[in-house]
Amino acid sequence: MATGDDAGFRTLADQLRSWSDERLARLLTARPDLITPAPHDFGQLASRAAVRASISRALDTLTRLELSVLDAHVVAGQTTADDVRSIILAQPAAVDATLGRLIDLGLVWEARGGELRVLSGVSDAMGGGPGSSGLRARSADAPAPGDVEKRLAELSPQARAMLEHVVESGGEATGGSARLTVLPEDARTPAEELISRRLLLPRAGGDLLVAPGEVGLALRGGHTTTEPVDVLPPLATAERPTTLIDRTAAGAAFEFVRQVELLLDHWGSHPPAVLRSGGLGVRDLKAATTLLAVEEARAALVVEVAAVAGLLSSRADAEGATVWVPTDAFDSWVAEPPAQRWLTLTRAWLESRRLPALVGSRDAAGKTWNALAPELTSAAIPEARSGTLAALATLAPGQALAAGTGLPSLVEQVAWHRPRRPRSRTDHVAWTVSEAAALGVIGLDAISSYGRALVDGEDPVPLLADLLPDPVDHVLIQADLTAVAPGPLASGLAGQLQLVADVESRGGATVYRFTAGSVRRALDAGWSAAEIHRFLESVSRTPIPQPLTYLVDDTVRTFGTVRVGHAEAFLRADDESALSALVHLPQAHSLGLRQIAPTVLVSSVPVDVLLPRLRELGVAPVVEGVDGTVQILRPDVLRARTPRERGASVRSAHGAARVASVVTAIRAGDRAAAARPASPTTPLSPSGALAALREAVEARATVLVGYVDNQGVSSERVVDPRSLEGGSLIAYDHRADDVRSFAVHRITTVRPLPDDSPAAP
Amino acid sequence: MSSGPLIVQSDKTLLLEIDHEQAAECRKAIAPFAELERSPEHVHTYRLTPLGLWNARAAGHDAEQVVDTLLTYSRYAVPHSLLVDVAETMARYGRLRLEKHPVHGLVLVSSDRPVLEEVLRAKKVAGMLGTRIDDDTVAVHGSERGNLKQALLKLGWPAEDFAGYVDGEAHPIALDESEWSLRDYQRDAAESFWHGGSGVVVLPCGAGKTLVGAAAMAHAQATTLILVTNTVSARQWKDELLRRTSLTEDEIGEYSGSVKEIRPVTIATYQVMTTKRGGVYRHLELLDARDWGLIVYDEVHLLPAPIFRITADLQARRRIGLTATLVREDGREGDVFSLIGPKRYDAPWKDIESQGWIAPADCVEVRVTLPTSERLAYATSEPEERYRLASCTHEKVQVVRDLVARHADQPTLVIGQYLDQLDELAEQLDAPMITGETPVKERQRLFDAFRSGEIGLLVVSKVANFSIDLPSAEVAIQVSGSFGSRQEEAQRLGRLLRPKDDGKTAHFYTIVSRDTVDADFAQNRQRFLAEQGYAYRIIDADDLTAQD
Repeated sequence: MATGDDAGFRTLADQLRSWSDERLARLLTARPDLITPAPHDFGQLASRAAVRASISRALDTLTRLELSVLDAHVVAGQTTADDVRSIILAQPAAVDATLGRLIDLGLVWEARGGELRVLSGVSDAMGGGPGSSGLRARSADAPAPGDVEKRLAELSPQARAMLEHVVESGGEATGGSARLTVLPEDARTPAEELISRRLLLPRAGGDLLVAPGEVGLALRGGHTTTEPVDVLPPLATAERPTTLIDRTAAGAAFEFVRQVELLLDHWGSHPPAVLRSGGLGVRDLKAATTLLAVEEARAALVVEVAAVAGLLSSRADAEGATVWVPTDAFDSWVAEPPAQRWLTLTRAWLESRRLPALVGSRDAAGKTWNALAPELTSAAIPEARSGTLAALATLAPGQALAAGTGLPSLVEQVAWHRPRRPRSRTDHVAWTVSEAAALGVIGLDAISSYGRALVDGEDPVPLLADLLPDPVDHVLIQADLTAVAPGPLASGLAGQLQLVADVESRGGATVYRFTAGSVRRALDAGWSAAEIHRFLESVSRTPIPQPLTYLVDDTVRTFGTVRVGHAEAFLRADDESALSALVHLPQAHSLGLRQIAPTVLVSSVPVDVLLPRLRELGVAPVVEGVDGTVQILRPDVLRARTPRERGASVRSAHGAARVASVVTAIRAGDRAAAARPASPTTPLSPSGALAALREAVEARATVLVGYVDNQGVSSERVVDPRSLEGGSLIAYDHRADDVRSFAVHRITTVRPLPDDSPAAP
Repeated sequence: MSSGPLIVQSDKTLLLEIDHEQAAECRKAIAPFAELERSPEHVHTYRLTPLGLWNARAAGHDAEQVVDTLLTYSRYAVPHSLLVDVAETMARYGRLRLEKHPVHGLVLVSSDRPVLEEVLRAKKVAGMLGTRIDDDTVAVHGSERGNLKQALLKLGWPAEDFAGYVDGEAHPIALDESEWSLRDYQRDAAESFWHGGSGVVVLPCGAGKTLVGAAAMAHAQATTLILVTNTVSARQWKDELLRRTSLTEDEIGEYSGSVKEIRPVTIATYQVMTTKRGGVYRHLELLDARDWGLIVYDEVHLLPAPIFRITADLQARRRIGLTATLVREDGREGDVFSLIGPKRYDAPWKDIESQGWIAPADCVEVRVTLPTSERLAYATSEPEERYRLASCTHEKVQVVRDLVARHADQPTLVIGQYLDQLDELAEQLDAPMITGETPVKERQRLFDAFRSGEIGLLVVSKVANFSIDLPSAEVAIQVSGSFGSRQEEAQRLGRLLRPKDDGKTAHFYTIVSRDTVDADFAQNRQRFLAEQGYAYRIIDADDLTAQD
């Protein structure tokens, strides 16, 4: 910040030029629209920063305090930091910090004379929106605050009430029949009283009366607002035990990961179709809710998060129809530990623009939104998510949102941080809270310890891993033919059990049921009775109940008859020579192979023995079903390619590199411009003219412009540019002694006027 | 990570690891709100159902308690959605209350106006409600108290009944505990019923439900109507009441097909109550014959539909339901809840067995293989004939003979469904037989003889399924049943579970034909037993013979 009279800059461009690369990079990171496309030099950068659309974007990222400070600055006009600080009802330190940030954002710059100046477009861009105090700018020749107060004290109650009303409703009133030149003694109406004391100033020939900023300030006790602006709305909280919060959240996290795995695993072999409009059909979502035993909103969230995490994508199936299938990233995801898997999902969710909460609701035309419908996005939602979680992370551990009042207070706090965000914020915050609860980032309406780590940019995985159930390596098998795994099973075990038994209940534990069908499935997959018995004995911590042993043996009894006949097995192959080779293999002697047809062998040993022996011999036998068809043990599961969408971390790395290169480019461009011989009469490109004019607007400088009028006559005019809007320049024309509008595309040159030229009145 | 005994699944089942040191404590804590679904040897499964949660609300537990219990004992994190669901479900109970209004009589009062509005607009309750008294109160036709409760339950807004009970005609009844004493769980059951006002007590067969009924009567001190399944059972109730209470012969009446007595304590059979003559239930007036202070429903899971209808009209009287299982093959558990009352007491069979109150049982399924000719006949028969063909195979006779011989010195029952088969067995075994056609007197004589040990072997049809006290039976051989009925299996096993003098194990054999629907049905039935913790073995008939 500028100190002393000789500090400060002539223009915003000069100030930017003086900044370090780091500081510039900060600006460009905070206002990424400035570098698309990369500006040539600082003049262009400063000009772009002053464009209304860009200012508007920058304002969107400000907090209520920052907006209020900016507003006060607009009211105060070009002035010193001390002056701004004095009219804001907030802690001075907070105001200083805020001013620093506003300068960093290029919304305020340090002009000559140690004064600060707000970009001229700010006032317009703020409008009457959030953070605006509704006061008009101070007049240039504002009397001292004490003077205004004295005049206010002289007012009649009616006049004061009228003034207060005018100030509160925008600072404008119609003049009506009030006389404009009148002495305080002669004032007959409250309006005249105010006009006579210069508390309302006539404009536009007296039709309009305005209350200048200093009057509003005086009415509000010297500040732009009557309420402090640096007070963050508090969250309504309730106490919750931290261990319970963490356990609840971890439970939800585990559950969510499990559901994603379950659903995608299922879709790998039973892929749902992609709708022509790009989404997932209502019926398929219903089927998913049944599979996961959850409600529809939850299933939609699972589907959407899986998709944004790159685990689900679409591809053509064998028949050419497009279907939703897990990607190959799913396979590596499944192999990771649960906490890591959770992190992948949660990161993707945080950064995603998708709106899963809208699935099932209707659009304006009454059409139901499908899950994965491409239209279900919002650019504002990632910020709402991070803002909401950040707000929750400010609570001390053990503090949760109070039931009922907690959510509205959270909405209010998030609104304080980003007051200019859209009206749908209440929904966004509520969705974030419910989705974060489903994902296990928060539990019991409080952020979990690992969720806090995630928000703080630390690694949540070790914290979460400690909270997740330890894998178990055994089950409890019971006489009602169920097996209970009292926790998540160690990898591989779950898959094997699922082959031998049907899953009946899932969750922290899994309940399996053995049926003749499930045992047969294991046999189909090549298990022998002995293998099943051995497997069950090895995983069961309790003795195997007799009915289960009986069930397995009984199933094997019937299974064998169908598969290979009573006493012998047959081997069939189209390749006759391979069969002959097998028969003559010395190691195969004990198998008692006999060729009964060119393509058929029979064996005198039971299949139980034959199959493992054949496998030892390097033959890969396939078991034939009853109808002679080959039984494919496990149908091929489909995989799509992981979408090339990059995560935000990658994006941000790229972003940082780009910002750095842009900064270098701007400096180079700037040096080139400086080195170029000054040839002010060279016609400017429209963008060059714009940059020069904006600079003049910000610097309140007087410039000489070359202008081609309607008749094609070229002339030179001395003007004071006031604003640039929609392709035209509003400027005070010295020759015409009036404010005129010029079409920017007709401006051929813009030249600064030497300082000794006559200044604007 | 905590190491509690309970695992809460997201599908609302609770798995309780019973070898855990906290298991007993946890069982007590969750019993009020969770339904015990299966209790095999290692892990018991409970289920959270709306009915169960409302039962808990009726018993004075609130959602916070339930949630707290789950969180306290749960080994892993409890799914958040489940906790929310528990709270929401429990909050539905009691938003509507049935109350006595000094002016308007019975009224439905709501603490949540939108709920009342929703209910008022429901078609199901149309006609049951009278005029709107104020925003939150609406009059109820006195006669519709039961129907309204039923309808509200179906709408998912069960009403809490504060309308109270009539005391009925007072009649002194006391337990005569000179030679015996009420077991702890029986006392608990009667107490919790009495405090709840009305409700169902679930106790295993042989655990002395009759005495719970008697204890309830002693609480009520009023005239009592007891509804039982059949005449034999009625006589047993009478004997038991005479033996265990201060009631005398003259105070107890029987109201059945043969006798129609109305006394301060009247025992009526479901059958006579539901007998229609000329299209009307002739005997329903029995219900109004006296100002009953208590109504006891024995074997409430068998309550026939007409009795439900009349029960709906009896809401002002205290009602106690007794049963071994709330499982109803017709799925009308909700009607039991709304018309008789919530479950007031429940104890797992195995617990009571381990306390020694019911005998341990050894369950064995014997599989016979159909001879080729019968298999052919079976394969080509009509589907509806198959069960009969499979279960009546001649092969079973030999197995029954072997089993009877093996348990020659033990009182044995042979139970079956098909009379032809039973005839054949009775003839082959040279044993007396009781079927539905046997006169009551003859039945009584045979049962008495069996009880006294005069007869060691009895062939019975399904008439013996229920409420017949044959404490001496040690062996039961089941040759056929009614298509895999779970409660039939429980009842038949129940015959054996009266505690034996010397703590002997009872034997329960089921003979089924392999690879037929008989085996499929048997599996269904046995699943129920296994879920009750009765491990069973399966052996082949050939092995059985080989063992001997």
